[in-house]
Amino acid sequence: MQTSSVPLTVDDIVRLRRKKQTVQFGFYFILFILVLWSIQATVIDDTDWERIGSLADIGKSVSHFIGIDFALIPNLLGPTIETFMIACIGTILGLIICLPAMWFGALNVTPYKPITYPLARIAMTLSRSIHEIVWALIFVSAVGLGAFAGILAIAVRSLGFIAKMSAEAIENIDPKPVEAIRAMGGSNLQVMLYGIMPQVLPVILGIVIFEWEINIRRSAILGLVGAGGLGLVFFRQMNTFNYPGVTTVILAIFGLIVVGEITSHYSRKALN
Amino acid sequence: MANKTGEHNLPVHSSVGGDGVHREWSRFKFPRSLINYGILLGILLFFSYSVYYLNIPLERIMGMFGRLGDLMADRYFPPDMDYIVDLGYLDAIIETIQMAYLGSLFGLLISIVLGWFAAHNVSPSPKYIYPIARLLTMGCRSVHEMIWAILFVTILGFGLLPGVLALTMFSIGFSGKLFAEEIESIQMGQVEAIRAMGGNHLQVFVYGVFPQVRVAFTGIAIYTWDVAFRAATVVGFVGAGGMGWYLKRNVMQIETERVAAILISIVGLVVISEFVSAWARIRVSKAK
Amino acid sequence: MAILEVSELRSRYSSRGPEILKGISFEVEEDDFFAIIGPSGAGKSTLIRCINRLIEPTSGSINLHGIDVLSLNATELRKMRRHIGMIFQEFNLIDRMSVMDNVLSGRLGYVGAIRSIFRTFNNHDIQRALELLERVGLQDHVDKRADQLSGGQRQRVGIARALMQEPNLLLLDEPTSALDPKISREVMQLIRTIATELKVPVLCNIHDVQLAKEFCNKIIGLQDGIKMFDGPTPSLDQSSLDEIYSMEVL
Ligand SMILES: Nc1ncnc2c1ncn2[C@@H]1O[C@H](COP(=O)(O)OP(=O)(O)OP(=O)(O)O)[C@@H](O)[C@H]1O
Ligand SMILES: [Mg+2]
Repeated sequence: MQTSSVPLTVDDIVRLRRKKQTVQFGFYFILFILVLWSIQATVIDDTDWERIGSLADIGKSVSHFIGIDFALIPNLLGPTIETFMIACIGTILGLIICLPAMWFGALNVTPYKPITYPLARIAMTLSRSIHEIVWALIFVSAVGLGAFAGILAIAVRSLGFIAKMSAEAIENIDPKPVEAIRAMGGSNLQVMLYGIMPQVLPVILGIVIFEWEINIRRSAILGLVGAGGLGLVFFRQMNTFNYPGVTTVILAIFGLIVVGEITSHYSRKALN
Repeated sequence: MANKTGEHNLPVHSSVGGDGVHREWSRFKFPRSLINYGILLGILLFFSYSVYYLNIPLERIMGMFGRLGDLMADRYFPPDMDYIVDLGYLDAIIETIQMAYLGSLFGLLISIVLGWFAAHNVSPSPKYIYPIARLLTMGCRSVHEMIWAILFVTILGFGLLPGVLALTMFSIGFSGKLFAEEIESIQMGQVEAIRAMGGNHLQVFVYGVFPQVRVAFTGIAIYTWDVAFRAATVVGFVGAGGMGWYLKRNVMQIETERVAAILISIVGLVVISEFVSAWARIRVSKAK
Repeated sequence: MAILEVSELRSRYSSRGPEILKGISFEVEEDDFFAIIGPSGAGKSTLIRCINRLIEPTSGSINLHGIDVLSLNATELRKMRRHIGMIFQEFNLIDRMSVMDNVLSGRLGYVGAIRSIFRTFNNHDIQRALELLERVGLQDHVDKRADQLSGGQRQRVGIARALMQEPNLLLLDEPTSALDPKISREVMQLIRTIATELKVPVLCNIHDVQLAKEFCNKIIGLQDGIKMFDGPTPSLDQSSLDEIYSMEVL
């Protein structure tokens, strides 16, 4: 890929191409070695094949899960609603706590760039790099078992994505209305309300709905660490070896997610 | 009204704004505004009811945040950094990386095929294979990675293999839909050219579709690695190996200072991985 | 009596960048409709934006109704700006708000924080907005969203919004460049009629020399940040035009 002024001879071209091919080959070779190494470590060294047994044994374990525990269904309604509500409130709370983060994190509106901008970026990274399970653990130990810990975990976990995308939306606004509001003597607040908000509000709502859909998935597992909802039921079925019950809970989660997807599809349509 | 000028004595012209004719206008528009307010009220009611239903102790919330701060300072500080430079823990980090690597690799390979089948425009059989492939990717998506991990641990026992498989399912769910969408947005001209030459479905995919989406796929693959690594740090929590296992053990033993150290290591690794993938993405988009 | 006096105005976008305005002086009087013409990149938009300090000039002085604009602090500047109406080439409307809200937003400089959050404007403002909308011929589009209007209609909203401020100076940055020739004339005509009626002096950037000659009584010719011509419209002849646009001829 060199752009020297000397015209390339056929030899040069061949040599360059060969060099490129060598690099490519080396790259794939390293990838391949990594695969082998990883397989060796995880699948061969670490796995107790005796315990797993033959394919037939695996098939037998899987077949435990086939079936539905109808007796469980009435008991699922409460936790399903709870999971749904945790997702909803968590998302809204996430949006609220993320307002300062998106304001600080957008280069064109951040109040004091050397401090507020990195602050917002750090908050976003923290929020996104810690898994919701871990957040839930932290909040359970802070506010005790229950839905509230789940809500906080969802809210904090959502902050990163919502703030990052919204800050991007704010950075990409059309500056013309902002100029107009400034020119007529508008204050910073008015510039925000009239120049920026109308442009980014629909975008932010779209992002929030998208995140809400993911949060339904998330809130369904927070019960694993005691933060309420369907996850708790799932865990209980697992611990009592009630495998059809496990399948039933998974189907309930599935149903909830489908509801979420349909709602999100139509509300995003209504936004435009 | 001549004195709206503030400190400055500027003359004000106001001949427009007083022709005496009264005009009617209201921000409230009959059916529309009513519907909007109705929807808003409904949402508000739902949220209030949820707060009530979930027994959220609103009056104690403020105190709780104070407690949160105390708790952090009290229990989680100072993080036990010696613990995470221990050889056993470093081993777990390597295992986590290997798990994420294999999981996302397998997932991506399967996703390429599934994405092909689940793309309406080039699916070998839009009537039968297409809906099945769609359902499969959606199924992988909607089951959370932790649930996958639990299921595989139940079937295969503790270890890294269930972790790899859980991450595989997760990666399929994550990248399958993106791949399919990418394929659905290609230009059909090249596909038709291959079809016209009498190419079979595989040839159409390999020569007509894949070259068009290769770069986009690479980007998606890097992204998938990123999220898979994040998930890999915690699947151990339910017994699927890696750092999550250490996390679980120390949480159970209330070794909070070690937990803090582990969290720091997770954040650190995720940030590093994010830098690496950002670099890789830039490389890929340049090579385009 | 001069309403606006600009003298020795200089401006640059960055301290190491080129100087865009190289010492511009002129005076605008009460019933002036001033045109600023010149080739692209001459600094017309920069000059207009220096007057209400959307761009900070590096030196010089601007005097509006005897007030030294460049010495004002931020609050005073905002108070000053509410009396300077501005109309833009690309209209600069708030696309997702209704025509009415766009026009009402012209009052923002006079409205407090709470009222601007809830968009509650007093009855006098609403009456004035409706009257202005009627005046610019948009009485049938009051509740439409601004992005549903045609270019000409959008610029009329821009005009109504600027007049909503009860301005005593109008700054126009190529108000007709985004419009077709017929609509351009209508819009210029409308602005001139209202400006004459309200006795508001106008400072107008304009690309189209023909349009400038038709509607403006005085003309400034700008080239590369230097004033090449300043005088009443009839005195603008071919040789001065050649001088202003010499860069383009070369
Ligand atoms: N934001 C900016 N940053 C740096 N330089 C700028 C900026 N805006 C304009 N300039 C430069 O200032 C000079 C004058 O620009 P200006 O927009 O005032 O010209 P103009 O006469 O209005 O041209 P046009 O007729 O194309 O609108 C140009 O050389 C331009 O490159
Ligand atoms: Mg211009």
